[in-house]
Amino acid sequence: MSSLTRIVRPQKRPAEAARIPERGKSKLGYWLYFIPGAILISVVIFYPIVRNLRLSLYHWRGGRAAEHFTGFDNWFALFHDSAFLQSFTNIALVVVAMVIVPTLVGLVIAAALFDVVGRRFGGKISSLLRATYYLPQILPIAVAGVMFSWILKPNGDGVLNQILSGIAGHAVTVNWLGGQYSTAIASAMVLMIWIQIGYPVVIFMAALQRVEPELYEASELDGANWFQRFRAITLPQIRPEVFVVSLTTTIAALKVFAPIFILTMGGPSKSTYVPSFYAYEEFIKGPDKGYAATIASAITIVVFLVAVIFIKVQTRSERKDA
Amino acid sequence: MKYRKRIVAAAIAVGALSLGACSSGSGSTTTPASASSGAGQYAGQTLKVMDYEGADSAMGIAWAKAIQIFEAQTGAKVDHQSTSFETLNASASQLFDSSDAPDVSEYNKGNGTAGQLAATGIIQNLDDAYAKYGWADKLGAGISTIAKYDANGVMGSGSYYGVPNYGEFVFLYFNQDMFTKYNVKVPTTEAELETAMQTFKDNGVTPMTTSAQEYPMGQLWYQLALSKANRQWVNDYQLYQHPIDWNGPEITYATTTLKSWLDKGYISKDVSGMKAEDAGLQFINGQVPMFYSGSWWYGRMLTDVKTFKVGITNWPGTTLTPGSGGNIWVIPAKSKQPELAKIFINITMSPEVQALLGESGGLPVAANTADVKDPNAQALIKLFNEVNARDGLSFYPDWPTPTFYGDLNGVMQGLVNGTYSPEQAQAELKNYYETYVSTVTKK
Repeated sequence: MSSLTRIVRPQKRPAEAARIPERGKSKLGYWLYFIPGAILISVVIFYPIVRNLRLSLYHWRGGRAAEHFTGFDNWFALFHDSAFLQSFTNIALVVVAMVIVPTLVGLVIAAALFDVVGRRFGGKISSLLRATYYLPQILPIAVAGVMFSWILKPNGDGVLNQILSGIAGHAVTVNWLGGQYSTAIASAMVLMIWIQIGYPVVIFMAALQRVEPELYEASELDGANWFQRFRAITLPQIRPEVFVVSLTTTIAALKVFAPIFILTMGGPSKSTYVPSFYAYEEFIKGPDKGYAATIASAITIVVFLVAVIFIKVQTRSERKDA
Repeated sequence: MKYRKRIVAAAIAVGALSLGACSSGSGSTTTPASASSGAGQYAGQTLKVMDYEGADSAMGIAWAKAIQIFEAQTGAKVDHQSTSFETLNASASQLFDSSDAPDVSEYNKGNGTAGQLAATGIIQNLDDAYAKYGWADKLGAGISTIAKYDANGVMGSGSYYGVPNYGEFVFLYFNQDMFTKYNVKVPTTEAELETAMQTFKDNGVTPMTTSAQEYPMGQLWYQLALSKANRQWVNDYQLYQHPIDWNGPEITYATTTLKSWLDKGYISKDVSGMKAEDAGLQFINGQVPMFYSGSWWYGRMLTDVKTFKVGITNWPGTTLTPGSGGNIWVIPAKSKQPELAKIFINITMSPEVQALLGESGGLPVAANTADVKDPNAQALIKLFNEVNARDGLSFYPDWPTPTFYGDLNGVMQGLVNGTYSPEQAQAELKNYYETYVSTVTKK
């Protein structure tokens, strides 16, 4: 908020509306508004994070068992834990499935719906298609996961295997979720892409609403084709939204849990473990809740660092544009 | 620009939301109701009972009867809450130590589950109740093992923390029509079992179904090991009495035999991507002639199989077999009605309720078997008695460590899809097992 200049005006009667506060008092006034949110964030976010970080320094069996201080033992163990390292390797693939592919494909779809479908077939068709792309976001993940399990069943009962058998002309019995050749993580990635794609489409289409139509009209008069308009107008205009979508989906990817839980339970042979699922497994079934807290804390730190990097990059980009 | 920064900050805040902390709670004591029982004495009081039995299952039918008797006897009302096995497994450690805790609940037995809760003070010690109601006299040795846990949560010794009042075990379900069609006789030795499987294979039928994504294949692996083991080996594996040789004859036989059956096509490699439900359905739909799994499937087999006759037999050529007392009644630390809970548990142990459990297709632990008339129930009880007569109940393969269920399934999947050789599979299992057991035995 910029600093207020003091305005001299006639005395108001007490019954009149509130005055703009005077300098000095004004700051306190705004801080009062901040208190409820600050309390809520402290109780719901900061306190649990601090407790979690503290617990990562202890061995604790859970329940009413005593906590034993172990210093950084859990952290040292974490960096030598092959399951944890594997889970972070898988996150790279999850980022591809939840950030890179949906953002790129979402950009193209949003631009096509807005600039081509919307113009040629009208806004209703464009809105209907947008809603269709967004539908998987509304669908409960458990439902989507079970549906994909049916599609990916390994024997002849699986829908995908049946379709492939029809195309190939002989029985195809690929073991999608239990096979050796990384088909399980690939299957989970397809599910993630399918769920995720509607989110950037909706955000980018909303962003495109505020692009000046004159820009498109002028470029058309200059003979620009669809791809040239997309590159020269659409992309630069909605860059802030691209940043926000990339940030939120990256955070979602780092914390991904449900698709793995529903589809593979981390299998086969823990090859589809992701950090959140590992933290869950250790917290629910593991003998040391302190170790589970260490995994959760590591995820929190990584999420925080990624968010900071994103904001710095975004700020630098904005300064360059200014 | 500042507005966008705030959006980003909010996104970070939301991103951090799901990473909650866990902390040890401090218990609060509750005032127990009067210990004496009599008709109507507890009128106006409520007992919260939680279980995860289907209403039509043997246990569901028996517990409904127990609730009826309990309400008539005590005058108290029962607030019956149903949940699922998986849900309670995941939430019991928090639920039982919260103000929403049930007064008495069914719970999973074993070191990694009930043992863990006993060791961390989340379920109550029942030594006094055992002495008062004489439950120990009603339970066989193999059954009562799962009711006792020591300070580290290891079953078989220490104090009583749960009451098992039905039994369960694992055996071979077979499709009698397919056996007749291909002229295969019910196997009584493992050699005969292999011959039977080869016959089916020669006729283009995959002989046996299982699931490596969930428990069935791990139990099959354990059964193969048990067929070469003795009671001391079981005590070593489950109770950590001595170190287990992960390259010894028992485990080597189990792992290499499974691998050989997979290579010969006796078991499809699809099982690495199948859940227990998928395997059960393959058998129920008549696609495979054999399914090795537990008594918990029995009622469903009788109900759902319409196109052939289901046969059951114990695994051939073994003294030991997976099985134990069933899930146990536990009283959470935060139970508001511990005395009423004990009265309720005692009613579930009564001959009347136990006989109904048996009649409905379950395996009672405290029933007069003469009271059970249904021929299907009698067939199951006969099979169970065979195992008990040779002291064969040997618990389950995933009990030794809290995470061994997932560990074992993962290794079984690797064995099926070729990620692990039998030697690598054994090395993986050894690592998982010893990492945990070393923390228990060094205390």
